[in-house]
Amino acid sequence: MKSVPKLIRHFIGIMLLSSVLLIILNFALLVIYTLNQAPNGSPWITAQEIADHLLQDSNGYVLTEDIEFELQNTNVWAIFIDNATMEVVWQTGNLPEIVPMSYTISDIASLTRGYIDGYPTFTGEAENGLVVLGYPKDSFWKHMWPSWDYHLIANLPKTVLSVFAINIALIFIIYVIANSKLIKSVKPIVGGIQALSTNEEIHIREKGLLSELAVNINKTSDILQTQSRQLRKRETARANWIAGVSHDIRTPLSIVMGYAGQLESDMQVSKDNRKKAAVIVKQSKRMRNLINDLNLASKLEYNMQPIHPERQNLISVIRQVVVDFINMNIDEKYTIEWQTDEALTSCPVCIDKDLIKRAVSNLIQNSMNHNEQGCHIFVRILAEDSHCKIIIADDGVGATDEQLEKLGHAPHYMVCDENTSEQRHGLGLLIVKQIMFAHKGEMTVKHSEYDGFEVDLSLPITM
Amino acid sequence: MRLDYLKQKRILLVDDEQELLNMVVSILNEDGFQNVKTAKTVSEAVAVSENFQPEFAILDVMLPDGNGFDLMERLKKAADYPVLFLTARGEDDDKFRGFGLGADDYMVKPFLPKELLFRINAILRRSYKTENPLVKLHDSEINFERAEVIKNGEHISLTAKEHDILAALYRNAGRIVTIDALCEAAWGDNPFGYENSLMAHIRRIREKIEVKPSQPVSLITVKGLGYKLIAEGK
Repeated sequence: MKSVPKLIRHFIGIMLLSSVLLIILNFALLVIYTLNQAPNGSPWITAQEIADHLLQDSNGYVLTEDIEFELQNTNVWAIFIDNATMEVVWQTGNLPEIVPMSYTISDIASLTRGYIDGYPTFTGEAENGLVVLGYPKDSFWKHMWPSWDYHLIANLPKTVLSVFAINIALIFIIYVIANSKLIKSVKPIVGGIQALSTNEEIHIREKGLLSELAVNINKTSDILQTQSRQLRKRETARANWIAGVSHDIRTPLSIVMGYAGQLESDMQVSKDNRKKAAVIVKQSKRMRNLINDLNLASKLEYNMQPIHPERQNLISVIRQVVVDFINMNIDEKYTIEWQTDEALTSCPVCIDKDLIKRAVSNLIQNSMNHNEQGCHIFVRILAEDSHCKIIIADDGVGATDEQLEKLGHAPHYMVCDENTSEQRHGLGLLIVKQIMFAHKGEMTVKHSEYDGFEVDLSLPITM
Repeated sequence: MRLDYLKQKRILLVDDEQELLNMVVSILNEDGFQNVKTAKTVSEAVAVSENFQPEFAILDVMLPDGNGFDLMERLKKAADYPVLFLTARGEDDDKFRGFGLGADDYMVKPFLPKELLFRINAILRRSYKTENPLVKLHDSEINFERAEVIKNGEHISLTAKEHDILAALYRNAGRIVTIDALCEAAWGDNPFGYENSLMAHIRRIREKIEVKPSQPVSLITVKGLGYKLIAEGK
């Protein structure tokens, strides 16, 4: 469940970034807007310019023609109030009639701050008086009381920053509240999807913003569970079928083996017929091994063979297998040699003793089955760093490189689909491989140093 | 003769398959066992054993009217005698159950006549000690009951460990017994690290039973694997 906090972090990051970007964007727009305002935002300057250009000659006051022309074009009127008389001594031709022609000091203060009858007025100082410009009504808005508390202005940067911080915090809180509901509904869905991947049975509450998604996840889980139940059922049925068949074959095969065994050792029977009986015994034994192998292989394949690992001395276990073979009075054609170093007396491993014995028996039996003419079998145990190695080698016919390659890689008929053309059919090695797999060990097939076949089994040592 | 004495034992054989019964009876007869009775069901087995008083039973696990485990318990209530299970069920759990209930051996079908006879004889030998307790070796005799060896008319006593080791070898006379199995017989369930002690005991046993201990003829070493006791008549 690492993804939900990651998701939250991601969202918050995006949110903070977008807030900062938004503020920067606003500042930029404000700057552009005020810059555009600048050219027509200076009536005070215009008034001062006119005051500077107003000249006195013998006939009175004169303004240069081009400036007067420009004033008329922009529909701005102008007057000049004399300092001494407080009377209008010069005016432009477009002066509205309503504008008074004489002023008191309080009139001057009022028009400087505000308007004359709705016309926004701006003043410029000349040598002997005051130039007043009157702009068209509603062309400017004038701030009549332009004064603030000193501390307000002094603290302005701090105030702006605080407001900015409060704004961000507010946005953050609003965002978290708005998203917590979403996250609350996302969380079980994320958990559900993660559980789906491990094939757990899940049921998410089908409520909240993402209820539709929850319904679908529940449906998917149901489908997966049904499928795996069916698969398990089929596998169990298959393994049970194999177990049943092999069980039913055992009794008739006992009778075949029993009578053939009796005939084989009955001295009243002719030598030829005794030989025939021996062949029946031998083939019956093969069938017996096949039944045992088939049953175990299918159980291991479908995980139906319970494994009981216990701490064991591998040397004792393998020594018993070898001794059992020798005690069985196997054919003189086959000899088994125990090559383990006598100094190595203990090799502790955690194994299911019966299964490991079975694996090694299979390998010894394999050497015999594939060498009709007889062979010498060598069994050795080596202790390496963290592994015990069981080596079963023979000096028999061996296998070609190609055959070894196939044994190592071609799938077995029990564990592959119909499309595979190259399939192996012996069960002996498959079982060994399965047993090693169940013990976290490894099986390697190769040429033996005696020009025959060799299988190495490697098991982790238990301390 | 000791073997003849064992061949007189009354054997009850229970299996639901008539052909199999016939076959096992013929194997037993051929080996000299003459007192064999058969039954195909639990109820028949119980009825037969009342009159027959078996001294050994070979039972199948799956029977038409019950199972062999329950049958064994019923039979053993009347009289305690060895039982061998002969069954098509090869599951480990079945084996453990059989042994847990006190079975003496468990064989999975199919089997060779030789295997069956070997196991039956081994069980009978274990269960019905011979009237003559002397075991004859090449150079001496062992009396397990008195824990002594008689060599050249001289009685040499065996220590407890020597007795246990020799007994384990004798139970499997003619076959190799692994070093581990012998250590277990002498030192119990955790027999690791006793290999050297075992060698010392084997040396002392040879001094008692062999005329030339350096060239043993009765207690043979099988290098790296174990030891083998050669007893006469086995």
